[in-house]
Amino acid sequence: MSTAYAVPTDLPPSTVKNAASLLRIVALSLISGAAIASRLFAVINFESIIHEFDPWFNYRATRVLAAKGFYEFWNWFDPTAWYPLGRVVGGTVYPGLMATSGVIYNILHAINLPVDIRNICVLLAPGFSALTAWSTYMFTKEMKDPSAGLLAAAFIGIAPGYISRSVAGSYDNEAIAIFLLMFTFYCWIKALKQGSALFGTIAAVFYFYMVAAWGGYVFITNMIPLHALVLVLMGRFSDRLYVAYSSWYAIGTLASMQVPFVGFQPVSTSEHMGALGVFGLLQIVAFGQLVRSHVSSQQFQKLLQVSVVVIGLLGAFAFAFLTYNGKIAPWTGRFYSLWDTGYAKKYIPIIASVSEHQPTAWPSFFMDLQFLIFAFPAGVILCFRELRDEHLFVIIYAVMASYFAGVMVRLMLTLTPVVCVASAIALSNLLDTYIDPTEPTPVEDDTKSESEASTVGTNGSNAPAAQAPSGKKIKKAAAAVNVSGSALSDFVAATKATESGSKVKKGIFGLDVRAVVVFNTIGLLAFFVLHCTWTTAMAYSSPSVVLASSGPDGSQHIIDDFREAYYWLRQNTAEDAVVMSWWDYGYQIAGMADRPTLVDNNTWNNTHIATVGKAMSSSEENAYPILRKHDVEYILVIFGGLIGYSGDDINKFLWMVRIAQGVWPDEIQESNYFTNTGEYRVDDRASKTMKESLMYKMSYYRFADLFGGGQGTDRVRQQSLPKVGPTLDYLDEAFTSENWIVRIYQVKKEDPLGRDLKSANAFSEGKKRKRGKPTSRRRALVQ
Amino acid sequence: MKGLFFSGLLALLSTPFATASTPHEDVLQLAASGNGLIKLNAQTYELLTSPKRTWSASIQFTAMDAKRKCAPCAQFDPQWKAVAKSWRGVPVKQRDEHFFATVDFDDAPTIFQKLGLASAPIVFNYPAAAGERKPASGKTGPIKYDFGDGFDAGPLAEVISKFTPIPVPYKEPIDWTKASLAIVAIPAVLLLLRYLGPVVQNRWVWAVGTILTSLVMTSGYMFVRIRAAPWNGGGGNWIAAGHQNQYGQEVQVIAFIYGLLSFSFLMLIMVVPYQKSPSRQRIQIYLWTGVIMIMYSVLVSIFRVKNRGYPFKLWL
Repeated sequence: MSTAYAVPTDLPPSTVKNAASLLRIVALSLISGAAIASRLFAVINFESIIHEFDPWFNYRATRVLAAKGFYEFWNWFDPTAWYPLGRVVGGTVYPGLMATSGVIYNILHAINLPVDIRNICVLLAPGFSALTAWSTYMFTKEMKDPSAGLLAAAFIGIAPGYISRSVAGSYDNEAIAIFLLMFTFYCWIKALKQGSALFGTIAAVFYFYMVAAWGGYVFITNMIPLHALVLVLMGRFSDRLYVAYSSWYAIGTLASMQVPFVGFQPVSTSEHMGALGVFGLLQIVAFGQLVRSHVSSQQFQKLLQVSVVVIGLLGAFAFAFLTYNGKIAPWTGRFYSLWDTGYAKKYIPIIASVSEHQPTAWPSFFMDLQFLIFAFPAGVILCFRELRDEHLFVIIYAVMASYFAGVMVRLMLTLTPVVCVASAIALSNLLDTYIDPTEPTPVEDDTKSESEASTVGTNGSNAPAAQAPSGKKIKKAAAAVNVSGSALSDFVAATKATESGSKVKKGIFGLDVRAVVVFNTIGLLAFFVLHCTWTTAMAYSSPSVVLASSGPDGSQHIIDDFREAYYWLRQNTAEDAVVMSWWDYGYQIAGMADRPTLVDNNTWNNTHIATVGKAMSSSEENAYPILRKHDVEYILVIFGGLIGYSGDDINKFLWMVRIAQGVWPDEIQESNYFTNTGEYRVDDRASKTMKESLMYKMSYYRFADLFGGGQGTDRVRQQSLPKVGPTLDYLDEAFTSENWIVRIYQVKKEDPLGRDLKSANAFSEGKKRKRGKPTSRRRALVQ
Repeated sequence: MKGLFFSGLLALLSTPFATASTPHEDVLQLAASGNGLIKLNAQTYELLTSPKRTWSASIQFTAMDAKRKCAPCAQFDPQWKAVAKSWRGVPVKQRDEHFFATVDFDDAPTIFQKLGLASAPIVFNYPAAAGERKPASGKTGPIKYDFGDGFDAGPLAEVISKFTPIPVPYKEPIDWTKASLAIVAIPAVLLLLRYLGPVVQNRWVWAVGTILTSLVMTSGYMFVRIRAAPWNGGGGNWIAAGHQNQYGQEVQVIAFIYGLLSFSFLMLIMVVPYQKSPSRQRIQIYLWTGVIMIMYSVLVSIFRVKNRGYPFKLWL
């Protein structure tokens, strides 16, 4: 056998094996280190702080858990959220994340490491990303071999698609969920391969953990049954499948029903019916197989087949009937809107309004996955080439996840693992082929072992066993006659290779071409690392609570308006003062200012949110009764017009209007907030309704004064504002932060003389009331 | 009161045969003569929307004349007529409580001026202003229909139903071509399946389907569908500005680039090693490596157009 470059031949196999396993361990620990390190940009650039919105609630709940123990947490009723309704936190939350941090906290304190709970929360996501890398390694190892596994682990460790949800401080359910997802899938593949009830049970336990941690568990609930169903349809039913699926489903479902927030959903909602249906189908098929193996009569087998089909149909009809009767809840809006993409915008604007529920444009895919996005189809094709049972899983996962990721930006997270796995398979195959030192034997001498190969090849057209990978001598063949030069015919020949009997040795001639391909691949990987580092540092490491801007000389300027305002609230207002804001800021107000809020990011009550939307979009006179009835003392708005912060409330305003319109269609109409020409403007040409709305007034109140008589400009919307700003009669400006991002207004109490506040204001300013107006405008605003 | 009398008088003038009739009867007659859809002019508009009306009305403001070049008007008009037509099917008692009418700009520009309308088509729903059907909120002003759901008749009928005594019985017309196609297609597919069995069972058919789906999805196809993004920007401009935006044509280009890059990898992995002539193999390896380099550079340069701050570039 000729080799392209010299390899040592006198090494004992055990040395090679030991060295390889040591290298694997070293590589995995380096990958874990890289995964953790690349997520620490946020801590280094800013500080150890909880990010964004939802994490603030998780953090607050974890603090309760750590301080008061699990039972207190479990029975926690939070009267300050959704004022005046309150929220039963223990029953409406996925407790997995908080429980995980709580356990870590208690272990660390038990061994006398007094780590602050905040630091545990901040660093939980990076820590779990190392575990994700490890579980992806295990998963990919089952698909190909450990070297592909290492590549996959490295990819998932630094792929921005996953980093975007797991930087330090991003203390959200996804932080631990992706590890659980990959590990459950790994256990499922292992259980399926070995027919092992043990691995099936481990998969069920981790499935339970996943159910307790993230609403995205439904993805597993449908992926595994889908895989099983496809296997059955392809005629690949086996006892291994039966054992694996039954143990996973039975234990996993019973366990998942222990989570209060999930409860009886696994037997009563459509999302979970697929899993139940496949479970039933497997029982029928298994029973059929059993009877068939014991009975010889032809007629009986026919009868059996018919009865299996009839039972299956009856089951389907029963399902349809129960759904129709309302015994089985139809798909919930969030999931339904994945299929009918126009559904959410029409019926549940709250879901449609969330920015991470928007469809994904291609630059986001490239930004999050870079070269993996085009290496991954190649990996999927390679899965098709072998098509063992576990490869089908990757194929189904690839199709489903790429659809979901296209519909919703946030589901890019579920696509990332499969992209990493599939592209690792592709790249590992490429490197295997071109690093392998064996040179193919010359052309003429390969006719003698033809008969041997053909006996292997006749083992069914798709038989995966036919290609048992025997190290470097995989005997697959292209029909020799077909090698005519045209690339396409080559491709066809290669794809037919598994079926045809003739064989040649495959391989690469020469050293230079090896160097070219390997060098090119290393270049791709190096570029990927640069890209990931840049993306992580620039795009995904901002806490969004603290903003950074850089001056013309490159110096960094920290904008800390949010915390400034929240701490103002905390220190200057009564502890039970109700603060109204749009729901985005509910968790932050609760977490940082510790004040009751009307609505927050747990968007469970549409009417309550619409009430806030209505108050914000109505005129002062109409909003005041709403405010007083809800005991609102302070209103908080986010205004970016001064420094150009584009995520402010005026830009979100149309969603408030839309959500309010959904509940009060005859009082709030979206079209009233546009100019006659259909534009959304805030300057002189803004519509009357827009100018009178509470949101507009609160945002631009006294804004014109800043410009000392000159023309004020809104830097977000690039529009010049009227020289005379809006006036407020029912509210007082209480606080405006340094850069005007957060503005807080105090709601005035009723006039002591019983006048409405508008005429009271006019009186105190010395304006004379016009004659002819009704003399008494007293009315009880609050009963 | 004066206004009502005046408009009643005008209506009387315009319909000389209806002597001493109530305004409601006048409107009924108008509706009958228009076959359920009243074509309004300045006088009859005042009659129909009189502040003492006991009936409700839905009025379409449009500009159908070819010289106005109002394409949306032409698009919306048939939908409007279909809804108005469906209202004729309800029992007479309820039917006479709600009217459908159309104002064309060229018939009555003064109405457009009075209402300050600068665009068309527009639909206003007028609730009853008097009588027992007057809304409880006391708001009797016209309410504009929001075209946010497009020009389709279905949502329109749904919204108008809030103003009518009984819901508008509008049903989507059955698309006979589609229905007959489906009826023909089902047996045809079943029949074909007998012959196409080997194709359906061929893994490479499925592989191609899978890959095409993934490529199209990861090129932003769903974004274009959901946002109804245009095919291109016109004037040869096919790349939409901005990181969160794209045109339909980009899906094709990007999917093609991704596909070609994937294909090059596959050629290097699956085909080239089977090449038995060293020189030919060498050419192929250099060829596909070159394709990867060039196409990847093209991809990165397109990405740099989308994301101006992107600091990296390859050969291009």
